[in-house]
Amino acid sequence: MPGENQHGIGCTEFETLLTEAIEGQLTGARKEGFEAHRRVCSVCGPLFADVQAGQQWLRSLEEVEPPAHLVHNILAATTGISSTRVLATTPDASTTPFGERLREWWDSFVTPVAGFVRQPRFVMSFGMIFFSFSLALNAAGVKPSDVAKIDLRPKALRHTYNDLQIQVVKYYDNIRFVYEIESKVREIKRAARPAEPAAEQPKQNPKNNTSGQPDQRQDRNYSRDENQPVLAALPDAPPAVKGTTNRRFV
Amino acid sequence: MDEAQVVGLLVRRCVGGDAAAWEEIVQRHHRRIYNICYRFAGDPDNAQDLTQEVFIKMYRTLNTYDSGKGAFMTWVTTITRNLLVDHFRKSKGDRLTDSMDSAPSEHEDAQPLSEQIADRGLPPDAHVQSRETREFVHQALQKLSPELREAVILRDLQDMDYREIATALRVPEGTVKSRINRGRAELARLLQRTYRQVI
Ligand SMILES: [Zn+2]
Repeated sequence: MPGENQHGIGCTEFETLLTEAIEGQLTGARKEGFEAHRRVCSVCGPLFADVQAGQQWLRSLEEVEPPAHLVHNILAATTGISSTRVLATTPDASTTPFGERLREWWDSFVTPVAGFVRQPRFVMSFGMIFFSFSLALNAAGVKPSDVAKIDLRPKALRHTYNDLQIQVVKYYDNIRFVYEIESKVREIKRAARPAEPAAEQPKQNPKNNTSGQPDQRQDRNYSRDENQPVLAALPDAPPAVKGTTNRRFV
Repeated sequence: MDEAQVVGLLVRRCVGGDAAAWEEIVQRHHRRIYNICYRFAGDPDNAQDLTQEVFIKMYRTLNTYDSGKGAFMTWVTTITRNLLVDHFRKSKGDRLTDSMDSAPSEHEDAQPLSEQIADRGLPPDAHVQSRETREFVHQALQKLSPELREAVILRDLQDMDYREIATALRVPEGTVKSRINRGRAELARLLQRTYRQVI
């Protein structure tokens, strides 16, 4: 029994046992020997007190909250997509989640114009015609309410839109273009309506159509942060999550 | 399925190109890695950059992870620690690099800590509650040498066991214990000094 005589243990052994002692794992004779040395040694006694105090200080530190956008940034920096979680229930179809997300996005913003999106050329043509028409109306002094009544959403076009929904992924560039056109038209509408400074307020839009959302949504899209990442996250090429990931891992 | 199996499966899915699996890994580990980086680097901006770097590195090397060689968390900690070392090389120059990489003998053994301690400060219990106090502790932590700092962070903040820490830091377990105790004692000494000035 090494701990019985004198102070039981030496300074070297004390240091060896320090970790176990601090964590309360010493028992029996070893603990007694350790305690005896701690009480009498002018070096080891204070050392023990400091180690113990330091441990308590450190354990008083709480876990800090990571920035809210950290996960988003990490995913963007690695896979190139911000999250797969909003989407998808089918893990095997790698393009489906993106399609779903795009469809939601599509539904909420560009429903009325979407019917026209059959192919890129058509979108371009439609956009230019619409833009020119609006410009002409504006220049001709047509009342804003008239402009607002231009119906972008005939039922027939909505059918077309439904048929074409699945092709959304291919056409998102066109959608973006139509966006810009819509935005431009909206600017013109506002400019033609000086007596209504609060034109952004949704209720002021005199449309009776149930799908009269696009104008206010357009505002959201161009001004509210929550919509920015969606546009910003659109890759230049059609997204192929699986392919990208594979390439990076190989 | 235990945790190791879950992680193993996630890693396999991820290596197979499953983006959702990767997101799951990020969700599970970002908090911990961010905290290690924050406590080591000292400020949120650096912590964020470093955390991002850790995940980029992980993403690129995930296929090299071998579950037979150790826990995923240890592997992740090793990557984190290596990037922290790199960070130090960049930010503090080669002098500290030597200190991180070479044998810890030099300044660790220069003078027994107990001899450096002039007197006893206030017991920590009296202060641990306040936010200001925790800020003092965090600042004091930044003043520890990097090898002591990383050791106490992994042990006292991340609650890793000595063997895991030894693996992550690639030093013997005895060295880990020694560094942890030195780190704790030095921190206490720094804080006692601070409190003598403040109070
Ligand atoms: Zn002694």
